Amino acid sequence: MPLCSYEQRIIKETERLVADPAPGITASPHDDNLRYFDVTIQGPEGSPFQNGVFRLELFLPEEYPMAPPKVRFLTKIYHPNIDKLGRICLDILKDKWSPALQIRTVLLSVQALLSAPNPDDPLATDVAKHYKENELDAQRVSREWTEKYASG
Amino acid sequence: MTDSGEPPALFFTSSDDEDAAMVIDSDNLKAECSKAAQDEQKRLFLPAESDDDEDIPMIPQKRGSSPDIYHENLDMEAVDIQRASSVSASSMSERISISSDSEEEAVSRSFKKRQTVPSAKKRRLSPSLALLSPSDNTQFPVYVGEFLVPNAWSSIAGSGYVKINDVVKIERDVDYSRPSEATTKGKKKVDDKNKSNGGKKQVSLTSMLKAQPTRAPKKKTTDTIVRLVTSRGIEFGRLPQEVAWWTSKLLDLGVVELRGKMTDCPSKLTIGTNLIVSVDVYLLRTAFVPVNVTVSDDRPRTMFEEGLETDEEKSLRERKSAILRLFEVIGIRPQAGVTVDWEKSEREHQEDASQRTHISHKPTKHVEVVGDGEEIEVEDGKDLSKSDLDIIYKRAQYHDKDMDEMEPAKSFTLTLRGYQKQALFWMDSLESGRIDAREANTIHPLWSEYVFPAKPDAGFIDLTEDDKLFYLNPYSGEMSLKFPRSKRNCKGGILADVGMGKTIMISALIQSKLGSDEPIDQGLSFKQRQLKLNNAFRPAKNRKTQTSSPPSATLIVAPTSLIDQWAEEIERSSEPGTVKIVVWHGQNRDDLDFLLEEDEDDEKGHAKLIRIIVTSYGTLASEHAKAEKSRSAVFDVEWLRVVLDEAHSCKSRTSKTAKAVYALRARRRWAVTGTPIVNKLEDLYSLLKFLDFKPWSEFSFFNSFITLPFLARDPKGIEVVQVILESILLRREKNMLDSDGKRIVELPPKEITIENLEFTSMERKIYDSIYDSAKKNFDQLRAKGLLGKKYTHILAMLMRLRRAVLHPNLVFTNTDERALSSTGDGVVDVNEMIKKFAEDEGQSNVFAKAVLADLDDQAEGASECPICLDVMETPTIVPECLHRCCKDCITAYIATCEMKGEETKCPTCSRGPIRHSDLVEVIRPPPNSQNSQPDLILRRNDFTLSTKLSALIHDLQRIRSSNPAFHAVVFSQFTSFLDLIEIALEREKFDHYRYDGTLDLKRRQGVITAFKQISKRPKILCISLKAGGVGLNLTTANHVFMMDCWWNSATENQAIDRVHRLGQDKTVYVKHYVIRNTIEERILLVQKRKTALVKEAFRGAGKAKEDPDSIENLKIMFGEN
Repeated sequence: MPLCSYEQRIIKETERLVADPAPGITASPHDDNLRYFDVTIQGPEGSPFQNGVFRLELFLPEEYPMAPPKVRFLTKIYHPNIDKLGRICLDILKDKWSPALQIRTVLLSVQALLSAPNPDDPLATDVAKHYKENELDAQRVSREWTEKYASG
Repeated sequence: MTDSGEPPALFFTSSDDEDAAMVIDSDNLKAECSKAAQDEQKRLFLPAESDDDEDIPMIPQKRGSSPDIYHENLDMEAVDIQRASSVSASSMSERISISSDSEEEAVSRSFKKRQTVPSAKKRRLSPSLALLSPSDNTQFPVYVGEFLVPNAWSSIAGSGYVKINDVVKIERDVDYSRPSEATTKGKKKVDDKNKSNGGKKQVSLTSMLKAQPTRAPKKKTTDTIVRLVTSRGIEFGRLPQEVAWWTSKLLDLGVVELRGKMTDCPSKLTIGTNLIVSVDVYLLRTAFVPVNVTVSDDRPRTMFEEGLETDEEKSLRERKSAILRLFEVIGIRPQAGVTVDWEKSEREHQEDASQRTHISHKPTKHVEVVGDGEEIEVEDGKDLSKSDLDIIYKRAQYHDKDMDEMEPAKSFTLTLRGYQKQALFWMDSLESGRIDAREANTIHPLWSEYVFPAKPDAGFIDLTEDDKLFYLNPYSGEMSLKFPRSKRNCKGGILADVGMGKTIMISALIQSKLGSDEPIDQGLSFKQRQLKLNNAFRPAKNRKTQTSSPPSATLIVAPTSLIDQWAEEIERSSEPGTVKIVVWHGQNRDDLDFLLEEDEDDEKGHAKLIRIIVTSYGTLASEHAKAEKSRSAVFDVEWLRVVLDEAHSCKSRTSKTAKAVYALRARRRWAVTGTPIVNKLEDLYSLLKFLDFKPWSEFSFFNSFITLPFLARDPKGIEVVQVILESILLRREKNMLDSDGKRIVELPPKEITIENLEFTSMERKIYDSIYDSAKKNFDQLRAKGLLGKKYTHILAMLMRLRRAVLHPNLVFTNTDERALSSTGDGVVDVNEMIKKFAEDEGQSNVFAKAVLADLDDQAEGASECPICLDVMETPTIVPECLHRCCKDCITAYIATCEMKGEETKCPTCSRGPIRHSDLVEVIRPPPNSQNSQPDLILRRNDFTLSTKLSALIHDLQRIRSSNPAFHAVVFSQFTSFLDLIEIALEREKFDHYRYDGTLDLKRRQGVITAFKQISKRPKILCISLKAGGVGLNLTTANHVFMMDCWWNSATENQAIDRVHRLGQDKTVYVKHYVIRNTIEERILLVQKRKTALVKEAFRGAGKAKEDPDSIENLKIMFGEN
């Protein structure tokens, strides 16, 4: 496929992200690499991550949008679906990816994931176990981590 | 009086030569006339003596005739020789040696002479002289048959007049006591009586005393009394009216002598007693005298012109009817030549004839024999199942394998095959006017051949004696003893070989026959005058008179696509420096005068160059338009030879091209075409017109004798065409055998497979919906009787159906739909189709409707592709959910998924799996494309191979697996389908080339050259049937794919012959795809319709409107058969 047409898409997505950002989400490309985005996501209200601002990196691979973007939390987060390296367990970033999805939808999904952790499909097994055995305590840890790592 | 009548046969003998003869003053005429007559005699009397002045001894039967009389007599004989010379096989060679020109001149002059001779001389004409039979051994009167009159009646009472087995005379009303009364009868009759009854005292004496007939209008006698007279001269009875009406005519006109014999009668007669008389019929010498010879210039020359029947014509018609009736009564049948449906011919005449007393006759002939002795069954003249093109050409091909060969000139560098040398010989024969190239024993199309029967009581029959033959023209009633040969007046003909190297043969002809021996002036004036008649639209003053040298240049007119091929082939086949060939075509073509003049200069200094100009029909037509205003050199120059390649290009006689071609001046004319008859007999007319092949080059003539009979299902039309073609057409086919029984061209075999395919269910749905709506439409129009009026509309529907068979993509078209459907809006149809998809999947219609609404806005480009986020390019619809993406985007996505082994789903809703073939794409061609292109095509993804495309690709892949470097040619008549084929080929990584009408000359040549280059990879050439069906030489390929059906198979075969032709050394595989239960099967039906000459039923809507045949074809299309 002509690469340029999808660079066009990336540019378009970027423009839209900047012009009309999704609530609680920012994404800005690096000047030297338009496929590399600095992303922040505000922790959803009512979640243990509330008031936190999480930094992520998002990279659009060569195949994008035929392949999903690569997204990783840079900010440490205590979440059963996000491991300590920041990797995210989210279906649309893997087999449920569709080229009709966009950066914005991906990030909104990530944001939603923060609201609804899914310990049944864990990435960070210890965190998941914690959430399963004692959710309140696990949420407490999450809040601590948020305060500790994501509050500034 | 009878001298001035005009039966149709006259047109054959009276060429323009006759006019030329007319201007000769009478003194010369006399001399020339006798000379001509002597010449005739010398030819006919072997051994020829070099005795110019004293001819009498040469006529052994002549007794005591004075030289004075002799002149008179010669005229008579010349006529007889022409008309009635020997016909036995032994005299064939003599006939052949007579050139047709001199023959005709002699005849026409002598006819003329007859009229100018003072009547005083005539009186001295001894009746006995008329009995002389110098040219053959036929003894007149000659027996032709007998008939029985069961109901003659006696006119006197008494006994002793006559008894059984008495010989009786059968006579017309002549009062012996007052011979002068006979003067009221026509001169003819008198003369005839003189001659015919010469052996019988009682008549010859009286007639010798008769006064010459006057030139005053003849007073018609209406009585038809025929008397029975005893040997002592006493009238005792009469023939009944139904016999008398025609016997009286025959007796009056000197056609027959009747000798009666009493079969039964009472010994004592009373008035009205029934007598049974058997009548022997003897033809008289005078029956074979041409019945009429005068053509006065102020009268229309054809009997087909409107107008009252003149007395002469009436007399002729009566004579003809009487002769035909006689032949029927005595049961004599032609053994060759035409037969005439008496009843029908009578009926025709009934319409114009002022009065008629005839009884209608039985129709004749259920078996007829054509000239070559082969019998053809004819069922009542209605069923023409036999009359397809093969039969038409069959006769022309009959003698070909025995034809002589001719070596080409030295400058011709290629080696000709045997049959090509034969062609050269044949062409030279036609150009030089020799007629024996193909043994010219073909009977004239309007004549029939009869055998004089042996008289039953002749005692012994000499079995060693050849059959004595005589000839009848049933259209004019004219009879002849001389074989009426089919005549040609033109120099040239039709070279209709199929795939035999026509170009090479013509090249050999051009180089071998330079025409330097052409007379400078002779013939030119003749030609010019003719042109003036034929092409009155061209002002005569613009015509440049011919310069001193005879014409020597050849003009080749060819379709644009073949011009270069001609130039190449001719150069290839000639020694360098011998031929100068100029392609005269295009915007910046040189001045033709200049080209030719320059050549003339060349000639002085250098070896003589053969000058050839090659041009296109288009150029010629535009030059012709120019010539109407000012002048154009191409029409001013007199060419030695004009060659029309693919001459059927001008088959429409009213087209500009045809008119331009007729206006060319040339000594020799050749029409080169594989299909002289494309699909109707009239196609041939235009070629004959170009060739100036008289009389068929007169449209009314052609129409009357060929077109109309053919349309009336009369086999005569076909027969006449056969005979015409036999004399001017050479057509060999690749599978013909030479005299050694070998194929003249050893071409590798050709395997044609018709592959019947089934639609996929999707295609079937689409096709059926289109068919149903078309059928509904058709039925409505039919009910309203509007089939003729809405012809164009129906054609469009048919066209759409034919495209639907090829590929559904070809019919999903907004504009197309609107144009075609008068009842509904095309968009709805398409939309419904999409809705069906949705419904089939049980999906709500709401979303679908939204999408459809959106689709209507497509033109404004409102939609964004979810994948590239751009305006959708070639929006492609996932049919299950109607989500759309750019074609490229979704294609790439599906490809990615397949590569990864993932399930393919709709990008938007993840519905799946989805397949390439399910996608439907919407295409908007660029606005500047042709009008015929629709605004918006909604079509299935091009990756969807339609049934036919799949079959094609499958076959190509199969071939590729066994032969990685094959070349194939794919024909379709739809360029839009060629587009799809190319896309499919591209996908399959086949090297493909495209040849269609949109390419200019250079690019066409380029495509062909590129395709022909040898490669290690397969090459596929996609050709539009119309643009590339003819002329091209594509022998590097040996696979042919016919993607669709054309209305006639001839066109298809010709397309196949692009590959299966000279130079092909591999087996040719032809595959023809047909989809079952579609209009294609119906097209094949039309192809096979019994007339075989399928009209261009679905083209040229304007013309075809009222044509019942076309309507019939339409009905077949919509399943009425």
